[in-house]
Amino acid sequence: MKRMIVALALVAFAGSASAAQATLPAKGGRSSYGPAGCGLGSLLFGDQPGLVQVLAATTNGTFGNQTFGISTGTLNCGDSAFGTKGASLFIEANKEALAKDVSRGSGETIATLSHLAGCKDAEAVGVTLQKNFSTVVPDGSKADVEKTLSTLKSDKALACNELG
Amino acid sequence: MNLLALALAAAVSLQAPSSSAEQGGGSAAEPDPPYLHELLARAHALNLAADTQWLRLGHWRRGLGGVESEADGSAFFLSPRGKTDPAAELDATLAAFFAPPSAEPDRPLGEPQRAEAMHPQCRFPARLSFVASRLGLDPARLPLQRCPRFEAFWTRVQARSVTLIFSSYYLNNPASSFGHTFLRLDKVEGGARDDRHELLDQGVDYAAVTDTSNALLYAVKGLTGLFHGQFTARPYFYKVREYADYESRDLWEYDLALEPSEVAMLVAHLWELGGTWFDYWYLTENCSYHVLGALEAAAPRLQLLSRVGKVVIPADTVKAVAAEPGLVRAVRWRPSIRTQFQARTAGLDAAALDAVEAVARDPAAPLPAGLDDVGRARTLDAAADLVDLRHGKEIALESDAHALALRQALLERRAAIPVVSPPLVLQPPATGGPDRGHGSARFSVGGGGSEQDGPLLALEGRIALHDLADPPPGFSPRTRLEFLRVRGSFATRERRLRLDDAWLVDIASLNEIDRFDQRFSWRFRAGAERVRDAGCASCVAGKVEFGGGPAVVTLGSALSALATFDAELAASPPLAGFRGSAFRPGFGPTGVLRLLGGDRAALLGTAAWRWYPEATPRDGFTLGAEARVHFPGASLALEVRRAPRGTEALLWTQLFR
Repeated sequence: MKRMIVALALVAFAGSASAAQATLPAKGGRSSYGPAGCGLGSLLFGDQPGLVQVLAATTNGTFGNQTFGISTGTLNCGDSAFGTKGASLFIEANKEALAKDVSRGSGETIATLSHLAGCKDAEAVGVTLQKNFSTVVPDGSKADVEKTLSTLKSDKALACNELG
Repeated sequence: MNLLALALAAAVSLQAPSSSAEQGGGSAAEPDPPYLHELLARAHALNLAADTQWLRLGHWRRGLGGVESEADGSAFFLSPRGKTDPAAELDATLAAFFAPPSAEPDRPLGEPQRAEAMHPQCRFPARLSFVASRLGLDPARLPLQRCPRFEAFWTRVQARSVTLIFSSYYLNNPASSFGHTFLRLDKVEGGARDDRHELLDQGVDYAAVTDTSNALLYAVKGLTGLFHGQFTARPYFYKVREYADYESRDLWEYDLALEPSEVAMLVAHLWELGGTWFDYWYLTENCSYHVLGALEAAAPRLQLLSRVGKVVIPADTVKAVAAEPGLVRAVRWRPSIRTQFQARTAGLDAAALDAVEAVARDPAAPLPAGLDDVGRARTLDAAADLVDLRHGKEIALESDAHALALRQALLERRAAIPVVSPPLVLQPPATGGPDRGHGSARFSVGGGGSEQDGPLLALEGRIALHDLADPPPGFSPRTRLEFLRVRGSFATRERRLRLDDAWLVDIASLNEIDRFDQRFSWRFRAGAERVRDAGCASCVAGKVEFGGGPAVVTLGSALSALATFDAELAASPPLAGFRGSAFRPGFGPTGVLRLLGGDRAALLGTAAWRWYPEATPRDGFTLGAEARVHFPGASLALEVRRAPRGTEALLWTQLFR
């Protein structure tokens, strides 16, 4: 009986997490693109009073949706595979840091994105993205998923084969 | 091809099938009931339920009430007695492996899944590996199930090696001095960071699922095990953003030398743990404890938890790992954004630093004339890091339109300069990481004398963690974080042992005021103290004290000075306090001066003056000076304290454990 209750609780908990995930408003007015809920704002930070944030450093609990529970959780944002899907998720989750690296024409996020997209040369990717900064980072100092990917795809010299 | 079979093969060597029946196809073959009896008989004969690895896989610990598993979710146990009976759990596990294929198909990884809906083989792949390696498994007689969900996780993780990550302290939050540990499952073994693409590796950690925003409830629940702790996995880039970027914590990465079979076992066991929860106890069964527990279960040759005490401090678990011979293959360091910013501004002169500050406030501000493109790029790069330091969270949450516009304008200005920034190459701090830190507990013995009591013998014990004059390596140089520090002395003239101080908590956060950061420092302590003025005849009074003020750090961090304005409240029945009551509020300044001689020596001076309104006496003061010399594992300290009642001098030997 107790196991049944626990099982139901698990379902309810996981179900509510999943539901919350689905109804999370996409940031920046973007349409509900797949990885939209995987940005840092929705995952890591909650609207908690400052003192609780300080205490959170001690338990390292994260507020917000528990989407990363292994085996029973929803793991929606856990994928880091090659190709468009993995690259999209990576850009979405790292869009602020990627914007900064694009402005510099180099950085770990560019190297990682280049790897996911199967591009031949990460340095060339950096130079191209920096040249196209105003396209790739149109506003809000964050990289735009579609525009970044299309910039990589359209420059044939970069040979980003995983993007199809 | 059945990936579970592949996973097992990676973990153990399977017994060759006795017949040519198709293997690994999943539910094609029928389980063979007599085989279960054979396996059970063999398990009993070998006393497998008492095997170290079995006990670690179930997280059973021997306690006062017998054997009990730390896992608290009942889905972790296949036997109703499983939580307290490893033998019953082993029998139930073996029987459950023979269960018919699960009625519900596995849900894909993007959707939630009930643990019970998965076949026991798929829920407990590490147990399956364990049984296979100890008893041998014949896939013709016990068919291996298809486990799409586990297989998807296995494929996603692609673990070749394991790294233990320690996130270091961050300034202005003394609680973070305890640190935090988690694991990273690496897709690539060894090699340079760029080749490894670490951001894509899976980070696995154990953390509390906190469900309250009430600070007091949060603290109470964390201390009393009322939160559930869960294992979660997410790509490492989330951890880097969270710790290194938004919390400005350096990350220390300890590359572990585990056998491929041990790495496979760890992945399988983390999958098992992911289906349950543990009561989260902040002091004992916390993040670091369970990280070690998972490592030990996967690699039973390791002795990790036996090296840490009852109260588990994350830095101590790093030391436990470092103490295991040959386990740490390499140590890497990932600087936080604050550390990166300090490196970017280290070589700049005053005019350049002014420019960085100006541009970080207004991206259109003019840069110094005579700068070439490279110089301009460098200034803007530093300014971008400064903006992230100040506004990182608001930018991630998109809650501050001004900050977003500021950062956008700044990055646009930088992108217009056709210079590619060179990689920032930083050396890890020479003082080393948490594995080089002194022991968390300190025990001291001292001898000396005081004016009023004559020769003294003194004892002091401190549970945790670090004060401003303790050996610096591995700790924040700007934090004092002390729990349960108790001092007593024995006056040989009177032959009396008496309590001098008992501090529950004594914290100070020293923030240096520089051109980029003007936050105040603060201090707080609560406990009890012997009154050293005429307020009472040497009574012990409960005391709470807090204050804030500016601090400066110069001479390359060697000299620190702090001035705070404090408020305190002392209470004790014999105390001649406010209008004769037992309570005595006090107000006044405190000054602290510290001179560090590298890692070897420290000089600490304190001066405080207090006004006690409508109390007797009307005011009081304390003066203190301490000189310490550090040796491996121990320190010598000379301490002189002066208060209205008189002067006291002690020479201490301090041992760290």
